Amino acid sequence: MMTASSILHTANPVSSPEKEGRQLFAIVDCNSFYCSCERVFRPDLWNKPVVVLSNNDGCIVSRSDEAKRLGIGMAGPYFQAKHVIERNGVAVFSSNYHLYGDMSWRVMETLRSLAPVVEVYSVDEAFLSLDGIGAADLQSYARHIRDTVEQWTGVSVSVGVAPTRTLAKIANHMAKKNKQATGCVHIMQTGEEQRTALQQTRVTDIWGVGRAYADKLLNWGISSAWDLRNMPPEWAYRNLGGVVGARLIRELRGEPSLAMKDELTEKRMIATTRMFGQPVTALNDLKEAVATYISRAAEKLRRQQGAAKVITVFVVPKEAAQPRAYQPGHSLSAHVTLPTATSLTHELIKPALTMTEGLFEEGRAYKKAGVMLSGLAPDGSIQGSLFSPGTKNAHRYLMDAVDNVNFSMRDDVLKFGSSGIQKNWKMRQELRSGRYTTRWEELREVR
Amino acid sequence: MQGEIFHGSAYRGSKQFSQHDVQTANATGFTAAADDYMERGVDLNEQLVRNKPATFFLRVRGDAMTGAGIHDGDVVIVDRSIKNPAGRVVIATLNGEMLIRRFEKNFNKIRLLPETSRLSPIDVDPSGADFSVWGVVTYVIHSL
Repeated sequence: MMTASSILHTANPVSSPEKEGRQLFAIVDCNSFYCSCERVFRPDLWNKPVVVLSNNDGCIVSRSDEAKRLGIGMAGPYFQAKHVIERNGVAVFSSNYHLYGDMSWRVMETLRSLAPVVEVYSVDEAFLSLDGIGAADLQSYARHIRDTVEQWTGVSVSVGVAPTRTLAKIANHMAKKNKQATGCVHIMQTGEEQRTALQQTRVTDIWGVGRAYADKLLNWGISSAWDLRNMPPEWAYRNLGGVVGARLIRELRGEPSLAMKDELTEKRMIATTRMFGQPVTALNDLKEAVATYISRAAEKLRRQQGAAKVITVFVVPKEAAQPRAYQPGHSLSAHVTLPTATSLTHELIKPALTMTEGLFEEGRAYKKAGVMLSGLAPDGSIQGSLFSPGTKNAHRYLMDAVDNVNFSMRDDVLKFGSSGIQKNWKMRQELRSGRYTTRWEELREVR
Repeated sequence: MQGEIFHGSAYRGSKQFSQHDVQTANATGFTAAADDYMERGVDLNEQLVRNKPATFFLRVRGDAMTGAGIHDGDVVIVDRSIKNPAGRVVIATLNGEMLIRRFEKNFNKIRLLPETSRLSPIDVDPSGADFSVWGVVTYVIHSL
């Protein structure tokens, strides 16, 4: 998830007076996405409580409506909810990112066939631009989107439609709040519709408003989205972080102030991070893990034809006591800037391992590690530079070959020696379902 | 496959390939004059997958559909976007199970027909919430 400031900073204001009121956005948001993906292939679990656990089976990251009704909390530790889960026969899954990734692509691809502009916002949400669709047809168009996605992919979605993206998010919230009445579709076009919805929305539920920001608003006596909407933009400019706050208020008033971005296909940062299956105490295991993450991140980097200039490595030591609530933990990190951007795994691994050695403390246990590649630029070595030594191009071909083999054989058949063969630290995924859509050996069976 | 009715707008999916997928004549050993005639080789996906985001592969277990040429261990290609399943081989969900059968609809009467003498047809109460058509089988991949 992005924070308030990053969402509002990256976009440019686009409101032009003559266009106002004619722009329309829809946000399509999958309902309990991970649970939905699991259920597509498990009709025996339709209308039954389902939860999906995080990496390493630590926390609950997705709950079906039936599970929510049992009082199972979001992001709560699994062990805390275990008695409720067992007593009620809730189906539990480890996260199956191969499946969710493929299903997400299917949902987005379906949306692309339904709307001309689709901005993928996260794995389970996308903004569509609905400019040019008549007001009379909006309801049926939104329902058509919902029905088509569900028919094609089996994933159920909620659709919120409004003149700005911030309002569309609120409309979506309204749709989800009462699925029976809304049919998971809520249109918020008129001023009256917007007023009703904003009065029912707390500031903490506004898209892009983080905890700290919300506290600030509550201190000013602003508790509903409607209160906030009625503050003058100049006031917001002075008191709510300048242009960011002013934009938020304009968005709530129905003036589009965040531009549609192009699809998030090119990332500005690539991170790979995992919880370990069991705490890691040996430097060698930690280095193997970091090398594997670098290989994975470099592969993603090459897939978007990028090269990275900055490598960051971080490790999270295990706390002495078992944390009572989910905490990200205190992390230690180091970063290095390379002389030239690269996408070659071995050029990235070497400095990452040196940093890992620097971060490691003998006698400490680590529960998590990760790498981040940033300072991304287009990869020049793809075309081959006239002035770079020929070997550089040969390396690039080697990488292509490695990626091709791994892509076609799936389970990282080719890897660098430093990634290790044993992988003692690999994450725990005891309850993972089949990778029904990406592996021939794991297809769903029918009788 | 002509004239089939899909849900909503037909999928306009992109055929994502680049010029590099077309072999140059030099790479094939012909002279450059043959370059003009080079084109991309036939692609099974083009033929078998009509609507990619709605298409799933499933593995068949058992002999319910041997009469239709679908055998134990075969892979079936299933399109969830096809609207009218009448008379087609479908994947149906019934009481939480996924079954492969021929879908028969006469007025309001729905039956799931196996194509083997070993099993009998299933009469489905269409108002029952535990029945649905999951997708329509379009092709079968069978190893000889």
